[in-house]
Amino acid sequence: MRLDHNFTVPVPVDEAWKVLLDLPRVAPCMPGATLTGVEGDAFTGTVKVKLGPIGLTYQGKGRFVERDEAAHRVVIEASGRDARAAGTAAATVTATLIAQGEATRVDVLTDLTVTGRPAQFGRGMLADVSGKLINQFAGCLADTITGPAPSAAESPEPADALSSPVEAPQAAAPEVEAVDLLRVAGSTNAAKRYAAYLGGLVVVGALVWLVIRLLRR
Amino acid sequence: MIPAPFEYTLPSTVDEAVRALADAGEDAKVLAGGQSLIPLLRLRLAAPSVLVDLGAVEGLRGIREDGDALVIGATTTHASVLADRLVHRFVPLLAQATATVADRQVRHRGTLGGALAHADPAGDLPATVVALDATLSIAGPDGSRTVAAADFFVDYLTSALGPGEVLVAVRVPKREGWSTHYEKFNRVAQAWATVGVAAAVRRDNGSIAEARVALTNMDVMPVRAAAVEEALTGVPATAEAVAAAAEHAAEGTHPTGDLSASPEYRAHLARVLTRRAVLAAAGI
Repeated sequence: MRLDHNFTVPVPVDEAWKVLLDLPRVAPCMPGATLTGVEGDAFTGTVKVKLGPIGLTYQGKGRFVERDEAAHRVVIEASGRDARAAGTAAATVTATLIAQGEATRVDVLTDLTVTGRPAQFGRGMLADVSGKLINQFAGCLADTITGPAPSAAESPEPADALSSPVEAPQAAAPEVEAVDLLRVAGSTNAAKRYAAYLGGLVVVGALVWLVIRLLRR
Repeated sequence: MIPAPFEYTLPSTVDEAVRALADAGEDAKVLAGGQSLIPLLRLRLAAPSVLVDLGAVEGLRGIREDGDALVIGATTTHASVLADRLVHRFVPLLAQATATVADRQVRHRGTLGGALAHADPAGDLPATVVALDATLSIAGPDGSRTVAAADFFVDYLTSALGPGEVLVAVRVPKREGWSTHYEKFNRVAQAWATVGVAAAVRRDNGSIAEARVALTNMDVMPVRAAAVEEALTGVPATAEAVAAAAEHAAEGTHPTGDLSASPEYRAHLARVLTRRAVLAAAGI
């Protein structure tokens, strides 16, 4: 299954590339996401979703397979699983940053394979729901970039963001603590973090939503 | 599959239920008929630590007349709604929609309040109570409050109920002089609605004086087809006028796509089913 999404952030492409790469900084914009580790090309993370009666914790891992700074493109492979509900998915995610004057469009292409019970139920709203997640993320990100810089006390260090869970419920995404993306310089493994972010966003998020949708038969 | 372990409480009054929810914290869940919640538990998509079963709560079941409205207890089963002569007389739309809910077994266990609190946009009853302008009575730790049906459904599977609150009753205004119809499309028997339309029409001589149309599964919550209602108001009760008004049915909606239907097909269904529902309601 192929999924296409895009969103725009209001900064030039080189800036966006640097800014978006720092996953621990942008992770709080992902509803319910926690980055549990980045090691070399690999990363792990979880996504918690509470929606009505449904409460799930998806654990995902992924690997960065391509990072083309010239083309502003990253490719990752990722998979996620909810231990309790026994749903799995695997995906290849390609994210491309495209300059649009003073803004940057981020195109996200996801090739998704769903196995197990979600696939058996065959009912999915992946395009819709992962798009919704991306919209929430993009809105939060745009607010973060254009909004005022947070005070030092409110701005978590990257190390804290890595080690402490961020459990933002979906509906609370806009209230997630802002981080000052413009202050963040690109680091050597930043692209991997970016990749990890998108992996967490699209794959694990989509997986959660797919399972949710199977309830609707 | 076997649900994850949970504690079970069986309060006998609404106050006890509210207290049990408060004691259990955010991880508690109210159990009514269980026709949606139990499958969720068995799939382990939901794993509340405490279940508060309303099955033994006094006074939550039953349908009574209260002035210009019917008051339906939250744990009144669909089967009881269907068997009730007051419902058929004063709010037939509720009976028409309830008759399409799942299958007979589910209707004998499932409850009106449970279906509303579950807030599934593909469920038939949320759109129905929105079309009927029902008011929902809620009990909580800070006392009682009422919420209009239009404000009750917040998001996918999410209602205005707070974590410690219990839906107590649904107050449905009598619709005398109105005629109604619930039109539902699903691909296999007992499935959720691909799209559903709840329509109520008040005729005045040869024209449509007022119309209320609400849509099932055209968004993450039930939505009023306001453009259709507006287009119907005051027009002659003819097939052509209704067909023209029904063309507005998908305006402002955000239907999802799945194996049953693409968003475009859902929009098409909304227009077709709205036309059929209004024609049937208006007796044209």
